[in-house]
Amino acid sequence: MRRTGRIVLTAAALAGCAAAVLGLTALGTRAEGPLTGALERAAGMVGVVEGRVARRVHGPGREARLAWFAPMRTAARLRRPERVLLGAYDQGLPASLQGVLDLENRLGTVLPLVALYTAWGDRPEQQFPLRQLQAVWDLGSVPVVTWEPWLTDFENRLHPSLPLRAERDRGGLAAIARGEYDFYVDAWARDAAAWGRPVLVRWGHEMNDPYRYPWGPQNNASADYVAAWRHVVERFRRAGADNVLWVWSPHVAYSGAASYYPGGDVVDWVATGALNYGTVAYWSRWWSFEEIYGSKRAALTPYGKPVMIAEFGSLAVGGDRAAWYREALADLPTRHPEVKAVIVYGASRDATVTQQTLDWSVTPDSAAVRAVAGEFARWAPAPARVPAKR
Amino acid sequence: MRRRAAPVRFRDRLVLTVLVGGGAASCLLLADWWFRPGHVAQPALFVLLSLAFWYGAGRIVVGWVNYLGVARPEHVAAPGGLRVAVFTTSSPGEPLSMFETTLAACARIRYPHTTYLLDDTRDPRFREVAERHGAVWLELVGLPGAKAGKINRALELTDEEFVLVLDPDHVPFPEFLDRTLGHLADPRVGFVQVCQAYYNQGRSFVARGAAEQTYAFYGPGQMGLFGHGAALAIGANCTFRRAALESVGGHGVGLAEDLVTAIRLHAGGWTSVYVPEVVSRGLVPEDLGSFQKQQLKWARGVYEMVFAELPRAFAHLTWRQRLCYATVGTYYLFGPTTLLFLVIPYLYLWTGVQPASMRFAGFLTASAPVSAFGAAVYLYVQRWLCHPAAERGIHWRGLVLKVACWPVFLAGTVLAVVRAEIPYVPTAKQAVRGRVLRLARPHLALLVLYLATVARVAYTRLAETPEGALELSGEAVWGMLGFATVPVLMACGAVYAAWRSRTPAPGTPWEAVPVDRLGGEAR
Repeated sequence: MRRTGRIVLTAAALAGCAAAVLGLTALGTRAEGPLTGALERAAGMVGVVEGRVARRVHGPGREARLAWFAPMRTAARLRRPERVLLGAYDQGLPASLQGVLDLENRLGTVLPLVALYTAWGDRPEQQFPLRQLQAVWDLGSVPVVTWEPWLTDFENRLHPSLPLRAERDRGGLAAIARGEYDFYVDAWARDAAAWGRPVLVRWGHEMNDPYRYPWGPQNNASADYVAAWRHVVERFRRAGADNVLWVWSPHVAYSGAASYYPGGDVVDWVATGALNYGTVAYWSRWWSFEEIYGSKRAALTPYGKPVMIAEFGSLAVGGDRAAWYREALADLPTRHPEVKAVIVYGASRDATVTQQTLDWSVTPDSAAVRAVAGEFARWAPAPARVPAKR
Repeated sequence: MRRRAAPVRFRDRLVLTVLVGGGAASCLLLADWWFRPGHVAQPALFVLLSLAFWYGAGRIVVGWVNYLGVARPEHVAAPGGLRVAVFTTSSPGEPLSMFETTLAACARIRYPHTTYLLDDTRDPRFREVAERHGAVWLELVGLPGAKAGKINRALELTDEEFVLVLDPDHVPFPEFLDRTLGHLADPRVGFVQVCQAYYNQGRSFVARGAAEQTYAFYGPGQMGLFGHGAALAIGANCTFRRAALESVGGHGVGLAEDLVTAIRLHAGGWTSVYVPEVVSRGLVPEDLGSFQKQQLKWARGVYEMVFAELPRAFAHLTWRQRLCYATVGTYYLFGPTTLLFLVIPYLYLWTGVQPASMRFAGFLTASAPVSAFGAAVYLYVQRWLCHPAAERGIHWRGLVLKVACWPVFLAGTVLAVVRAEIPYVPTAKQAVRGRVLRLARPHLALLVLYLATVARVAYTRLAETPEGALELSGEAVWGMLGFATVPVLMACGAVYAAWRSRTPAPGTPWEAVPVDRLGGEAR
């Protein structure tokens, strides 16, 4: 065979194999098993050990600056918080928590709560986020997990008893309550119990909003939500996961939240979002924090539970963003003494609600940073102005 | 002492089938895990990584399929009265004293035969040695095609029905022809190959490793090929039927003359027999330089078979023969795939580019069954080694040596694709004083790169990676570093082999061969 012939043959063979790889990949699925989980845990130890080495080299890190919070990092004390706990959500997860640290450095405080989001499903990133929770814990904070019961991410191939995907959402909560998803709930419960540290879980949030999530009233009766909630909590308690605190989080703009309340024995916190979309969408206008939360807080206060503003933030379109933060936070503990946690929503690429990608991040907005930092400094007695270590 | 591979019992075959079945199922599960869409991080690199990985896995599977064919031919007594020639060749530079041993042993082969020394040394002492040992001396100077050229010319000058081609370093046992000629009574059989074993593997690390690389091939490997109808001719120790050789225009010429001859004979409808018995012993390279030269020659030659012979012979081979030749022909792709495996962790650690978003834990879980079945098959087929007592074990020296040769394999691949020629040089019969640095250069370079990378990673992690990113990126970074460590350990082995090659083992190995006490009943 001549040189060109050889090169062509070699190239053709390579191209054929490459096409086979891509074709096979297109056929693939995404599940993960228990043995892998165990090995994952071992692999996670690498990061923990390294963190310890780094702390030994650099001296105490963030955890030491949160020393005041250390005695409060128990399930019992987190159920009865004595003061407002601040937190943040940043889209750097699952790769990095540095976004949260950058924000708090700019705010001159250290945030005791760190939020993360995860959906139900078979994919590796939908399993108990042990690695991320441990990372949050090792930084001195307590994780707040928004756990979203999307039912269509389970593969029929792996769970032949489940209905077809298109048929799962309608009546999905009743199916959860009947235990059809216990294979998944129990795995989380076991992992959570094994982890053992306090974690706040905000399950099935905004369940009374008929437009957003499949677990809303368009697919389910409120009684089924209550039954599903009680079932999930029951499975966790049976697994010994008493370290999980349950955060019930309706959308206060929609009526009828009360019928979704699962009961004081299975709820530790109540929460809502307070996001001002400004004028980015036809359905929104510039709403102040008082309009969003203050006027609707009665939906949350009757239960005698600490209240969390689980998503707190404003876009910049349609008003004075810094002023919004300033007004919202000014004397918050006295204005709304029931509020015991505020989590700054800092997603920089939020595409969940509108057609556009929205930027909620506070870090790059100096005016907003000054506003938030100023109010925090006034009433949140954190170790003020701790210089950033790195 | 003559050694012989164990017979293949039904029970062995059953166990092997179960192991291979389990292994194949594990491979399917591994593929199911590997080709998940979520695992693709950088598509082009993912394709490359997949090709390299599944090339290796595919070879393992094809090896298993080959073992499923494992068979040992029934011994057939050699009929009397056959006319047999024994060809051995001498070339300039080959040590005269070696021929004393080889020709003395040839004279002691029991079956009546004529030994010919095919000589182009222009050194009268070779003629003297040949004639002293009763061999016919043929001066064949200036023929193209090196060894095969001389064999083809000698075929014209002689007329024996059967020709044993013996490499000059191979010392035949007296019963050699008695063990092979019987199979040629079947008129369809074109050649009979016997096991290739060595008498100098104890003389150096490289010799031991080079020998280890061949143990499985000359045991269950060739027995499998025989079972599949594709027992290969190896340059040495092959007894040919003259009519078969003449039907394909003589012995093949080129760097892989043995393979070329075998594929032409198979394509011409001849069958072959593999006799898994040690009825001669020869030399294996004792130093890294000679070994690498031999490997480069073979790599280039094997690809020549793929590009020049396989397409022509393809239509005339059975599908099992096609698979066998394609597998043999792609052995040296180990070079380019190793390069790829080497590059990937450094690419990630220096630039952050990652071909696949696989978790190491997930990979370990998914690949563990394949590894387990692979190890089981590896150990199980060792019952068919030709000399199990001496050859059994984990052939780690062989593996180190194979990894040490990846640059050579890579060069052979590239040279074959662009059709660059390399000269035919007989493999050195005696260890050559190696230049350590030249042989170890690529491996030392890898070692330096590795240490620099470790230093960089340690520094970055401690001084630059912010606190909030440290813990969550630990597994990926340290896992990749672990991935980079395995070939570095191998490279250390290669450097060790080069270092040990700097001074040859003393003496000439053949002088210790007890020519008058060779052979005897198999154990």
